[in-house]
Amino acid sequence: MAFVKAQKSRAYFKRFQVKYKRRREGKTDYRARIRMINQDKNKYNTPKYRFVVRFSNQDIVAQIVSASIAGDMVLAAAYAHELPHYGVEVGLTNYAAAYCTGLLLARRVLKALEMDEEYEGNVEATGEDFSVEPAESRRPFRALLDVGLVRTTTGNRVFGALKGALDGGLDIPHSDKRFAGYNKESKQLDPEVHRKYIYGGHVAAYMRTLEEDEPEKYQSHFSEYIMRGVDADGLEEMYKKVHAAIRADPTPKKSEKQPPKEHKRYNLKKLTYEERKAKLIERLNALNAAAGDDDEEDDD
Amino acid sequence: MPAGHGLRSRTRDSFSRPFRKKGPTPLSIYLRTYKIGDYVDVKVNGSIHKGMPHKFYHGRTGRVWNVTKRAVGVEVNKQVGNRIIRKRIHVRVEHVQPSRCHEEFLQRVKTNDKLKAEANARGEVISTKRQPKGPKPGFMVEGATLETVTPIPYDVVNDLKGGY
Repeated sequence: MAFVKAQKSRAYFKRFQVKYKRRREGKTDYRARIRMINQDKNKYNTPKYRFVVRFSNQDIVAQIVSASIAGDMVLAAAYAHELPHYGVEVGLTNYAAAYCTGLLLARRVLKALEMDEEYEGNVEATGEDFSVEPAESRRPFRALLDVGLVRTTTGNRVFGALKGALDGGLDIPHSDKRFAGYNKESKQLDPEVHRKYIYGGHVAAYMRTLEEDEPEKYQSHFSEYIMRGVDADGLEEMYKKVHAAIRADPTPKKSEKQPPKEHKRYNLKKLTYEERKAKLIERLNALNAAAGDDDEEDDD
Repeated sequence: MPAGHGLRSRTRDSFSRPFRKKGPTPLSIYLRTYKIGDYVDVKVNGSIHKGMPHKFYHGRTGRVWNVTKRAVGVEVNKQVGNRIIRKRIHVRVEHVQPSRCHEEFLQRVKTNDKLKAEANARGEVISTKRQPKGPKPGFMVEGATLETVTPIPYDVVNDLKGGY
């Protein structure tokens, strides 16, 4: 009885209003998006740049995006899967990798806009709260952090990327309340703890405890690290080198891609408007010819 | 109890959102820019409660005279008694659309400028004025045959057979 009653009729579907596509996919928070994109009308066409950070299971995406009616325009992008070029091959979604990705994006953008000489940012990552000072000729590049649908807790990797971008020289309004190492009781950021996280200190600590207590788990969990000869003590050095490499050459490397293979077509190709019209004319002619023959036969 | 005459009285239908278009407004509304002198239509978006114009201005068209952070100032004509007053209102951008009333004129200006430039290059003077449609040209009627109609004498017997 219950199953039959709870049916969705044709009337239900006729009245159903679908949410926006990206809301159905659960990817965009439109309420936040409206407020982020809205530019003051008396600033006319001045673009408002967003520093977009998104995490997937195996990658980090950092982009500088501005909105337009045709679609969002990406000014520059940096991915964690580019970090192997700069010397880090494992742990591509941890806090340290997020810092590197943010730093890479910031240096890339500044280089593209030819501002990288003026705005070096914080070359030595100390974990302290650092904001860019305006230089003489140009004002710093301003962007607004766009976290997406992430829960902004203290120590989230999103803020690792933010720190990377800040140290890279971008001007992003922020507070130190959500950086790793912020103490809620004393209401202060502990730069030592933050510095540890930036250089993967928390990963190194876990590696050390596992090595001592549970060597099998260490072998299975950090197998990729072991394979590449990365150990707990070398992590900080490795990340220092990566930061230097990023600052040296942030331009993206183009990879050679073959044109995609031609596949056999398993279904019919859709005809164009002209082709369909031509087909119709053919059919009509054939019909008229057939009708003409019939008439002649009838007359006879 | 009599019906009141409040600010939003009688707006049940005009301020309501269209069928299956309720909820968040599309982002393109916020990305449009307005310059002073543009023509805009005022059309209230009932889901945005701030910066709504009075119901009189719903459906009016005016020119932009001011641009602020989130709103535009629109100058609209209103008949008050025996005269028309130019009223200046401020409206949030969600309740405003760019008007197409001026579009045809601007297109014509562009094509006229082009034609004038071309004619100038050739050295001749042309008039780009619009001319009203004149009377239709004369034409000969085709396939006309002459049929003469004459009266026939009244035939009592045959005609009455029908019905009496």
